[in-house]
Amino acid sequence: MKKFLALLLAVLMLASVLVACGGGDKKDSGKSDSGKSSDSGDPFNGEDNIKLLVWAPDKAIDLTKELCEEFKKQYSDKTIDITVQVQSESEAATQALNDKDAAADVFGFASDQFNKLMTANALAPIFSPDEIIERNSEKSISAATGADGNLYAYPETDDNGYFLVYDKSVITHTDTIEGILDDCRKAGMKFVMDAGNGYYACVFAFTGGLTLDGLEEDGTQKFNNYNEEEVVDSLEAFATLFHDYKDVFLSSEVAKIPTGMAAKPQIVAAGIDGTWDTVAIQEALGDNYGAAKLPTIKVKGTDKPMISLHGYKLMGVNAVTKFPYASQLLADFLTNEESQIKRAKDLGWGPSNNKAKEDSAVADSPAISAVLAQSDNSVAQVNMSDAFWSPMNTLGNTLWKDKDYSRATIQKNFEKTIASIKGE
Amino acid sequence: MIKNYRTRRTVVNVLIYVLLAFLGLIWIAPLVYLVMHSFRGGAAELATTIIPQEWTFDNYAKVFNPPDPNVVNFPQWFMNTFIIAIFSCIISTLAVLMVSYAFSRLRFKARKPLINVGMILGMFPGFMTMIAIYYLMKAMGLLAMPKVALIICYSAGAGLGYQISKGFFDTIPRALDEAATIDGATRNQIFWKIILPMSKPILVYTVLTSFIGPWTDFILAKIIVGAQGPEHYTVAIGLQKLVGLEYKSQHYREFLAGSVIVAVPITALFLFMQRYYVEGVTAGGVKG
Amino acid sequence: MKYIDYVQLNPFQKIGYNLKNFFVALPSNIVKFFKAIGRFFKKIGLGIGRGVAGYFTRLVKGDWATKLSYLIMGFGHIMKGQIIKGILFLVTEVAFIAFMIFFGWDKIYNLGFFSPDHTIGFNGEDYWVDADGVDFRISHKPPVEHVRADDSMQLLLYGVLTLVIIAVFLVIYFASVKSAYKLEQKVAAGEKVPTFKEELKAFGDEKFHITLLAFPCLTISLFTIMPLIFMILIAFTNYTKSAPFFGWVGLQTFADVFATTGGASKGETFIELTKWTLIWAVCATILNYILGMIVALLINKKGIKLKALWRTMFVITVAVPQFVSLLLMQQMLEGNEFGAINQLLRDLGWLATSDGGAVQYIDFLGNANKWVPRLTVIIVNIWVGIPYTILITSGILMNIPADLYESATIDGAGPVKTFFSITLPYMLFVTTPYLITTFIGNINNFNVIYLLVGEQSSVDLHNAGYTDLLVTWLFRMSTSTGEYNTAAAVGILVFIVCATVSLLTFNLTKSAKNEEEFS
Repeated sequence: MKKFLALLLAVLMLASVLVACGGGDKKDSGKSDSGKSSDSGDPFNGEDNIKLLVWAPDKAIDLTKELCEEFKKQYSDKTIDITVQVQSESEAATQALNDKDAAADVFGFASDQFNKLMTANALAPIFSPDEIIERNSEKSISAATGADGNLYAYPETDDNGYFLVYDKSVITHTDTIEGILDDCRKAGMKFVMDAGNGYYACVFAFTGGLTLDGLEEDGTQKFNNYNEEEVVDSLEAFATLFHDYKDVFLSSEVAKIPTGMAAKPQIVAAGIDGTWDTVAIQEALGDNYGAAKLPTIKVKGTDKPMISLHGYKLMGVNAVTKFPYASQLLADFLTNEESQIKRAKDLGWGPSNNKAKEDSAVADSPAISAVLAQSDNSVAQVNMSDAFWSPMNTLGNTLWKDKDYSRATIQKNFEKTIASIKGE
Repeated sequence: MIKNYRTRRTVVNVLIYVLLAFLGLIWIAPLVYLVMHSFRGGAAELATTIIPQEWTFDNYAKVFNPPDPNVVNFPQWFMNTFIIAIFSCIISTLAVLMVSYAFSRLRFKARKPLINVGMILGMFPGFMTMIAIYYLMKAMGLLAMPKVALIICYSAGAGLGYQISKGFFDTIPRALDEAATIDGATRNQIFWKIILPMSKPILVYTVLTSFIGPWTDFILAKIIVGAQGPEHYTVAIGLQKLVGLEYKSQHYREFLAGSVIVAVPITALFLFMQRYYVEGVTAGGVKG
Repeated sequence: MKYIDYVQLNPFQKIGYNLKNFFVALPSNIVKFFKAIGRFFKKIGLGIGRGVAGYFTRLVKGDWATKLSYLIMGFGHIMKGQIIKGILFLVTEVAFIAFMIFFGWDKIYNLGFFSPDHTIGFNGEDYWVDADGVDFRISHKPPVEHVRADDSMQLLLYGVLTLVIIAVFLVIYFASVKSAYKLEQKVAAGEKVPTFKEELKAFGDEKFHITLLAFPCLTISLFTIMPLIFMILIAFTNYTKSAPFFGWVGLQTFADVFATTGGASKGETFIELTKWTLIWAVCATILNYILGMIVALLINKKGIKLKALWRTMFVITVAVPQFVSLLLMQQMLEGNEFGAINQLLRDLGWLATSDGGAVQYIDFLGNANKWVPRLTVIIVNIWVGIPYTILITSGILMNIPADLYESATIDGAGPVKTFFSITLPYMLFVTTPYLITTFIGNINNFNVIYLLVGEQSSVDLHNAGYTDLLVTWLFRMSTSTGEYNTAAAVGILVFIVCATVSLLTFNLTKSAKNEEEFS
């Protein structure tokens, strides 16, 4: 008699929740009603009245919309409704991991997220991978291949990495890091690199021959059979360099590079940065903008090229999409040669498509050329364990910060880093 | 002797003035820095000097009239937040006043246990439930309507914040209720006609705090709205996005300008309600 | 010791005496604390016992209509003239039974079979099968069908929802049974049976509390309590972001949190972060309290002009959203020539220079060092916290009886002595509840740490930096790394810490006793 009304309300509300849930349930177990018409020659496998959600980063949204319209035109016999929504690449993977149902049918993401998405079964395997494998660069394909050997994503770019950016009026030699730092010193300016961030700091170890070699079954990072002496040689060379050029070398977030170049008086003359800052740096330097692959560093008397971490942007199809065939066709279309060239032209994204790489739009852009050139001197950013980053951050920090940079200390730090990446 | 005492007092007061001025400067320095740099011009996006070398209104122009609304759409974010804030403010205020009035003026068997439950719930870290709330919203199909979902998030638990207004109601003499009851008023009438009109300070306090909430939350909003496009963002997540890696080198000053636009009205509201805030908190927080 | 002896002690002896008393009384207070918990459970047990007893007594004593109400809710009401009410009860029962048959039973059943060994859920995994029903990824034949496994998350959520609905129904059921009996007694006593309209009217008066509390209680149970139960249950599963499926694992998660296997294990991290969380909460609370009070005293001192201006200068910082002011602070505290504070220190010439002539900037927030960032966040928190203290204590400080100060001045006490012997004890006495709330607030102080330091990591800790509190660790585990079960377990532990601290202090302080007397 007492709490009657309140409780009735409560039950009704809870019941409505459950009814709503029930509705969701049914939707989830959806089968493609097409049945077994796969041999009919219809690339959509009978799917029609298609509704797709595509996630694209904000800067690429207009182009993606345009490409989707073209896709619809190409398949005008089908009713296709495509919604393109803004979602940054880093967010896309996080959201798809958190909740596959709420995620887009087709979404772009950075290759370092590939492994996580795979383990969480968030990506649909590609039904007909042969053509994709053929038309894209080998490294980008390997970045999109799962541990079971199946292809799970469409390579979209080959540019998720960093390279040397510099002010042409200050830096004359871009081949060696020593030359660059000397030029900076002469001009009284800084060289900026985020040495305390594992993403950049792994260069120090990679240059000495360390590379990634996939993951163990339990997800721990595997490394190649590296020569520890050589790696420590390289680390020592970097540490010595940082201390010799303490007045020039600055470790800070990369956003400081365009700012420092635009500042009056100019503070920064060169740095290691990626394509995301290209626009800002071009604005700051104008005609003096220069980009090149990473320089060499003198290790024990010989010039060694710096080896970077290099990733890809991939396009994936949501594992729980209701239209797997249509989604795959769309992802295929969005990552084909023409689409990649358009992206290179409009957005400055470096293509992964072998033919698109040779297009003039690519050759004319210093940033894309630089990042593609750097791609040869790189370790592919795939199959990386989450545990990789924070020990690498620490290693980078100790190299440029610690006053004690004797070989013994560096060796100890390196061993500690590897051990803690492997969780030992 | 007296003269001596006076000199000493003057010296002490001067010292206090100096100290207060120094401390006051430290306290408002970040805010001055914020306002100053929101007007910073020049090509550099981030600050390179303490005092800007060039001045401009461009940052505000870009915020009010975004050149690329896909990236920065501050007016939209502002409207979203405004709508969410209005609704959650109305619901929360009602909930808080209802709960605190019941706990303060009415006596019933479940009162003490309910107060205890409220206290216990307050001791769980708030973020613990955010994942569950997300899935609950999803189950109710509310993720597609992020504004509704956020209004529910902000106002559903509001009743738990009853302490301060309960403390305030406790200070209103009970004789008033008794007199009204003798005159034949129901408790419903007492609540609306006698207690509420006397509770202006706490009403203002509750309205303003619940109105400000949605402007400053960047965690729940991120989780609920994250999967949606930026057109559904609130100011807090929108501005947070601008300091991320991909945007900082081009949009940092817009972040500063946007922050000023959000902070100025909130600050004005706060200074206006400061008296009520103090009354409410001293009544509610101190006496328990 | 008698009061007269106590008064004659000097301040240090007084503090010593109080401290001694505190520690002497501590064991008995802890015992009292556990006794109180015991009493609490005893009370609950007795309540349930009485309820059950009442339930059966009424069943025995009631007439046939009341007895039948035990099976058919509302039957007694309908028979005795309260038709609408009776029908409402009946509808509730029918709805509940329908719900359980068509939906609820299944969900409860799933909940029981929810274990890693007997897994129903593959966490919503989808796979494609070819024409022969074989997983496409193995056969490489064209996929034709799209199969989705159960989602353990949904199973758990619906299971909990069903449990909540059952609980709600039980409450209604007992209420209906009780009310049927009461109605019977009323009829037997020859009283008038209240009509439905009259009963509704009561919700505006003697039952007004139900009207007021119904809506908030409903939303709180749905959006606060239900998720909380859900998350508490998560702590007993192996649910992580990368786990393909999850189920009950008992206390394993807690065992992991406490296991110190050396290195950067969860156990070491938990211990380190708990220590730091407590240090932080104590420092932040005490420093903000005392320093804030001193500033408030300065502002309110007789003869100081422009009081409103001074107060506004501090208080204005409360109004600026923390995600703005603290993100800005982060920029200002940067450890190189871009950080405003470092620029200032450099221009003042207060920074050391190395042999090469390069300025050595202070890395305020970097995790290379353990205590520098910790100190920084404590100092920044003083900036955040003092204005709140000023707001809250100003009024009370003005209310301290002036004769207390006068007698102290006559005794020749200086300002420092007056502060510690009069102001502080008085304020402590009056504001204990506020202090406890602040302390718990600081244990859960997410914004200052997260906005200022972000997500830094250090080698010795599992997904945490030196400045991370238990709550920020919890947050990082439930967002970036997706260790939901550990996060939930840590949440429960934080709750236990908070509850213990506040119950202990409530029991130890005089004002707590007063509070009991009042209510």
